[in-house]
Amino acid sequence: MQVIETLAEGLKRELKVVIPAKDMEAQMNERLADAKDRVRINGFRPGKVPVAHLKKVYGKSIMADLVNEIIRDRPTAILSERGEKSATQPEIAMTEDQDEAEKILAAEADLEFTLSYEIIPAIELKDASGIKVTREVVAIDDKEVDDQILKIAESARSYETKKGKAAEGDRVTMDYLGKVDGEAFDGGKDEDAELVIGSNRFIPGFEDQLVGVKAGDEKVVTVTFPADYPAAHLAGKEATFDIKVKDVAAPGEVTIDDELAKKLGLESAERLREVVRGQIESQYGSLTRQKIKRQILDQLDELYKFDTPERLVEAEFENIWRQVNTDLQQAGKTFADEETTEEEAREEYRKLAERRVRLGLVLSEIGEKAAVQVSEEEMQRSLFEQLRQFPGQEKEILDYFRKTPGASASLRAPLFEEKVIDHLLTEVAVTDKTVSKEELLADDEASDEAKPASKKKAAAKAEGDEAAAPKKKAPAKKKAADESAE
Amino acid sequence: MTDLRHYDVIVSPSITEKSTLVSEHNQVVFNVAKTASKPEIKAAVEALFGVKVTAVNTLVRKGKVKRFRGFSGRQGDVKKAVVTLADGQSIDVSTGL
Repeated sequence: MQVIETLAEGLKRELKVVIPAKDMEAQMNERLADAKDRVRINGFRPGKVPVAHLKKVYGKSIMADLVNEIIRDRPTAILSERGEKSATQPEIAMTEDQDEAEKILAAEADLEFTLSYEIIPAIELKDASGIKVTREVVAIDDKEVDDQILKIAESARSYETKKGKAAEGDRVTMDYLGKVDGEAFDGGKDEDAELVIGSNRFIPGFEDQLVGVKAGDEKVVTVTFPADYPAAHLAGKEATFDIKVKDVAAPGEVTIDDELAKKLGLESAERLREVVRGQIESQYGSLTRQKIKRQILDQLDELYKFDTPERLVEAEFENIWRQVNTDLQQAGKTFADEETTEEEAREEYRKLAERRVRLGLVLSEIGEKAAVQVSEEEMQRSLFEQLRQFPGQEKEILDYFRKTPGASASLRAPLFEEKVIDHLLTEVAVTDKTVSKEELLADDEASDEAKPASKKKAAAKAEGDEAAAPKKKAPAKKKAADESAE
Repeated sequence: MTDLRHYDVIVSPSITEKSTLVSEHNQVVFNVAKTASKPEIKAAVEALFGVKVTAVNTLVRKGKVKRFRGFSGRQGDVKKAVVTLADGQSIDVSTGL
């Protein structure tokens, strides 16, 4: 086998691989000898078939197998021999000529193919201790917890039937029948509907007209659907609702006590406080973590500068671009609304894609050096989290993950990234800083304001996706990209 | 233009262990029509394959009685011709006509 380098430019490599016909024939004969004792051909006892005859019958298919195998296995072997890593699946080009192919199969011509790929640049890991991050910790004050509990309490508030007229804040139980142009419309009818006046759940104006009704009253309410009402055939129309009031109830006192806790399935008010506090803490915790992560990534970005494989960037860019376009479409906006042109946006996202790829490579390298592993158990857990997001479709999603080769990689990537960040956190200098809630939130918004809204989303996705690019997963990822491209 | 009759005479080459054995002696085995005579076979092989035939031996392999689900049936008889070629000539039987 001969390997000739025909192109070595930047990160691009092109190799020409030649396997002499003689070698191919030798390998084929070996296989024929192997197959000899197993094949059954009419007119011959097993094992008595002359090799010459075998070759005539099976030679071509065996040779085709051989060629396929070589094309499948050799590139990786050649790459590891050269000590290079390919960023994407190497592209293999063979002769297109039918006659030529025939000749190769007949072991008369040398098997030649070219490999073109981009190498992953060797990354020299730098000392991570130079990275400094500030961990912003929020001290949660009791008032916040109280506020939160109050909110919970209000939603679990009890109502007591009262006599007399309904006022703002009261709950009205009623039957209603909505009509447009004198005809009842779909979804405009309900019985025993409960509505809290002032909760703004219904069409504007509806609730206001209920003020002053009593139990047993019948009333006709006329409202106009807002022009941007989701159901198009109702938007902007005037409708009448025949209402039969069954009950008017006044809200009970909101008290935070053991009874409320019990209603929510907890033992005592004390316990309720703890749970709420825990929730708030974890909310801030994830926010804090996101910020730390961004700091680390920013500094890594500063620290490592190298050329990135074009194809990876291209694939990543396509991903982002598609995402952005769908986002814009869903929002019904154009680039002009975002105060940028398509070219500018492209430019910007290309930079973003490059950053992502670069950071992905760096993170994967760091992770590999630190022997970061993602265990089967963690994969399972994240899979179940995915499942929980789509109730009712569990089976389809499980199937998807089982059948699509790239899917499990997409699960694995964020986990791997998190672990690498964890690892980095042990190495970098972390300073704790207590901040108020406003500061934690404010900072985030300030950085968001710098970019238009849709970019914020893309950037947030960037942080999440950055580890998705590294080499092993690259082929799978490429495939995934291809699929969705179709 | 060769005579179309020749194609009716020669049914197929016989590729078996025995036929590969006799190919050592510059002989080729064909399945031929039941009614074909040795001179016909000779003429057909010479015309179709463009070789010189020195001798033709024929045999009829009688069909066996086979039973299938209790019914007895009879396989057809097959006439075979062992054709000896002149020295230095050969036929590649596996490639077909």
